[in-house]
Amino acid sequence: MRVDYNISDKFDFGLFIPAVLLMIIGYFAIYSATISHPTAVGNFEKQLVSGVIALIVFFVVYFIPTNSFRMLSLPVYISSIVFLLAVITIGKTVSGQKSWLIIGPVGFQPSELAKLGVILALSAFLSKKNTDIESFKDIVIALLIGFLPVGLILLEPDLGSSIIFMGMILILIFWKGISLFGLFVVLSPAFVAISSLFGTYSLIGSLLIVGTLLLLFRKDLFFSASVFALNLAAGFFTDYVYNAFSPHQQKRIQAFIDPMSDPLGSGYNSIQAQVAIGSGGLFGKGFLSGNQTQLQYIPEQWTDFIYCVIGEEFGFMGSVIVLILFTSLFVRLLKIASATKDEFLSLVVVGILSVFFIHYVINVGMVVGILPVIGIPLPFVSYGGTSLLVNTIMLGVVANIYRNRKNYT
Amino acid sequence: MNSENFASVNRSVLIYAAIVIVFGLIAVRLFTMQIINQEEYDRRSAGNSIKGIEQVPLRGVFYDRNFEVIVSNTPAYTLRILPADYDRKLSTLLDKVLEMDSGYVDGILEKNKIYSKFVPLRIRRGIDFKVVSWLEENSEHLPGVDYVVEMQRGYPVNIMASHTFGYTKEISPNQLRQERDFYNPGDYVGHNGIEKTYEKLLRGTKGYNFVLVDSRRREIGKYRDGTEDKVSIKGKDLVLSIDADVQRTAEQEMKGKRGAIVAIEPRTGEILGMVSSPDYDLNQFSYFTSKEFLDSLYNHPDKPSFNRATMSLKPPGSTFKMLSAIAALDMGVITPQSTIFCGGGFTFGRFFKCHGSHGAVNVFRALEKSCNTYFYQLIYKIGLDKWKEYCDKFMFGHMTGIDIGEESKGLIPNSAYYEKIYGPNWPRSIMASLGIGQGEVSVTPLQLALFTALIANDGKSFTPHIVKGYLDEYTRDFVPIEFDKIETGIKKSVFDVVKEGMYLVVHGAGTATRLKVDEYTTAGKTGTAQNPHGKDHALFVGFAPYEDPKIAVAVVIENIGFGGTHAAPVAKKIFEAYLKKEKKYDDNLRTLSKDEKIAGVNIAR
Repeated sequence: MRVDYNISDKFDFGLFIPAVLLMIIGYFAIYSATISHPTAVGNFEKQLVSGVIALIVFFVVYFIPTNSFRMLSLPVYISSIVFLLAVITIGKTVSGQKSWLIIGPVGFQPSELAKLGVILALSAFLSKKNTDIESFKDIVIALLIGFLPVGLILLEPDLGSSIIFMGMILILIFWKGISLFGLFVVLSPAFVAISSLFGTYSLIGSLLIVGTLLLLFRKDLFFSASVFALNLAAGFFTDYVYNAFSPHQQKRIQAFIDPMSDPLGSGYNSIQAQVAIGSGGLFGKGFLSGNQTQLQYIPEQWTDFIYCVIGEEFGFMGSVIVLILFTSLFVRLLKIASATKDEFLSLVVVGILSVFFIHYVINVGMVVGILPVIGIPLPFVSYGGTSLLVNTIMLGVVANIYRNRKNYT
Repeated sequence: MNSENFASVNRSVLIYAAIVIVFGLIAVRLFTMQIINQEEYDRRSAGNSIKGIEQVPLRGVFYDRNFEVIVSNTPAYTLRILPADYDRKLSTLLDKVLEMDSGYVDGILEKNKIYSKFVPLRIRRGIDFKVVSWLEENSEHLPGVDYVVEMQRGYPVNIMASHTFGYTKEISPNQLRQERDFYNPGDYVGHNGIEKTYEKLLRGTKGYNFVLVDSRRREIGKYRDGTEDKVSIKGKDLVLSIDADVQRTAEQEMKGKRGAIVAIEPRTGEILGMVSSPDYDLNQFSYFTSKEFLDSLYNHPDKPSFNRATMSLKPPGSTFKMLSAIAALDMGVITPQSTIFCGGGFTFGRFFKCHGSHGAVNVFRALEKSCNTYFYQLIYKIGLDKWKEYCDKFMFGHMTGIDIGEESKGLIPNSAYYEKIYGPNWPRSIMASLGIGQGEVSVTPLQLALFTALIANDGKSFTPHIVKGYLDEYTRDFVPIEFDKIETGIKKSVFDVVKEGMYLVVHGAGTATRLKVDEYTTAGKTGTAQNPHGKDHALFVGFAPYEDPKIAVAVVIENIGFGGTHAAPVAKKIFEAYLKKEKKYDDNLRTLSKDEKIAGVNIAR
């Protein structure tokens, strides 16, 4: 067979260019957010260093043999778990969370690495020949693989990362091909749990909906009753989990339900972020000229609230360009996932897509005020070395799969 | 719906739909916020009312070795502009009020355009009180213009030490780019001398106060009762090894002369005094530095800005005879008693003159009488490259590593050096002059002082330094700074011989007998460096007391004449200033009592 040596046949610019452009926009935003900040002013340079390292690592990952991903899945997964255990015991506490592991001069967040670990391990399990996702045993194993790190991350406690993992696990199981009822069984407890946060009426309402749907599925009575009991337990268990959260996380959840309840407290960030974005207008206030950003109305704006720097200083045009770049990246990832015939690799690509996508939805949703304030960075844009590194590694994995796609058809 | 149907649905279509829907939702939300409701958000953004005010910490002060404050901080007014609120139409008026050339204010604004508009820019330091009252009266009409009280350097005792202390200066754009994590445009940083070397200790940690402001940005109260404020932390106070009396005496002695003096405590390498003359008034840098002053500093033929003590290169003349003596004794090519006959000179290719006929002299006599014939011949016994090795041991031809930045290496030639110039058959007669410190050899006054200190302390000392340590900002305990050891590895017996020769220079029938005093013994060596461009340079190196050296001095005075006549008396005054004064303090640093710890903070103002 004649092999086409056209560069774009080997290297996917549709994947690489949006990510690099997002990084560049991120550098502008980080520079602006930190230039007049008393303590964070060196972060721009630090991120530049991380960026160079990340690009190098991207190409390293790009060139390793594709079949090594499957072999690496178990080691990466196990080391993720070890690091997570380490971080709970000897990790460094930053703003109430034990999420940092300091080794020598560098600190990193094991939960970032665990994302890759779970994607690889779960994909490897789901793509095994004898795995039947409709069987009770296999779905429990799949959920165990996924939820073991989630449990450890909740102990840090890091609510934001846990949500990413849950979404990612669901999407992977979905991509494997679970039936609608299977999906319902997995999803409904989460729905009830979230509803319970909004009060008793909301909890009762959600239970009614679940009950009605159960009747519509017309499964046998015992099975339906067990599922309903599971939902009931989820609803009440949430209250227990809610109390296990640290006060600042509880406040964030409350502030989402009613941001004006504490305008100078945890709702403050949300309001100031929206004011920053809204006051940006069509073309923005100009680079380094956003008063919300420059006067530091939004704490730690270079991390989770980076999108409102773009909104304030580059306006609607700038914000939408970022949305378009993300959307084109996602569409590209989805296309590669669909085109990849090898089930393991296809699952890996979807897992990576889901991680990027959920970060993006929660982060941008939070900043524009349609989701609660949950501390999650915007991929490729926010300040943060570990996150940037892991994101580029994942991008490198996909680029690698694209490069070798013809060997796996 | 049937669950079996669901399984066949194209999953990628569902995910694709989710991606597109999310894009649509967020885009619509952005459109509502940024296009439809923009005015409302804009109004709220403008009404925001918290302002962070940078608190510049007090710079650390300098104490001398006796805990006398020698560099302090004094208050002065600074005019500032907040570019975000400022109207450039006011610039012409401000230029006039500040008595500056027109375009001065706009020039500064233009230069700082790349920084945030919400950080105030310092326009002019040390403004007059008249200007301050004018600002107060007209504040309504001057949006974005204000003034603050800031601390400037003050020099409370009557010493200059301009090259040693150095001065602070507005940060350069280049340095600002490299160190954005600490500095803002307009910040002052140490530019040279100790102020530069110890910038990181001196500068302290910046603080921030958060205040509520009204729509015209006037402060109306503290934000959250000041609970979010960050207190600034004062810089560390440095304890210098300088002795204010030695420094003052040295400066007075050098008035109207060109040259340098360096005094070192031999045991520790601590600089007791260091003068480069002519010097300049550091007060001129504290407020606004005028063009005329800078002109006098950089364009004067005597180059006052040039630190002669560490950078000027002169042949050491006869003060270098000790080096040849040390090398010869240590190598064993002479014994203390072996003699060389001086009949008024030495012939090697040509005739090299001595200033007398000394007869048969040993090393003691040769040093005492400064016999040239003896040392012309000695260098041939040592050999040029061996001689350079000994120079290296005493840091000649190398930077000493003193803790102020500017320093010259000097030049010590070896055979490779001459081969490069004259080829392999270079005239060996060149070497004769090197033996008496003339010819291609050139050294700095600091190197000469270190050399003397090393002789005085039998070949051991520390890298010369001006800062002994600092005071902890909280406990006010003294924290010493450590410096590298210098060890020549030469036998003590060698130094005993050379020191005795230097003792005879003062106490025998030598060239510096006028240094003899009753209170203490002195050892030294005069030098007169020939200068093809004018009068000879006068040099003297020496230490005292001879039995237990406490101070070593090098004096270099340019174009003045004979060393014994002009340089030696200066050294005498310095020895007196240090050794004769009432011993108010122990040699070691005293521990501060509790009251003094508090007082120490107050003195710092």
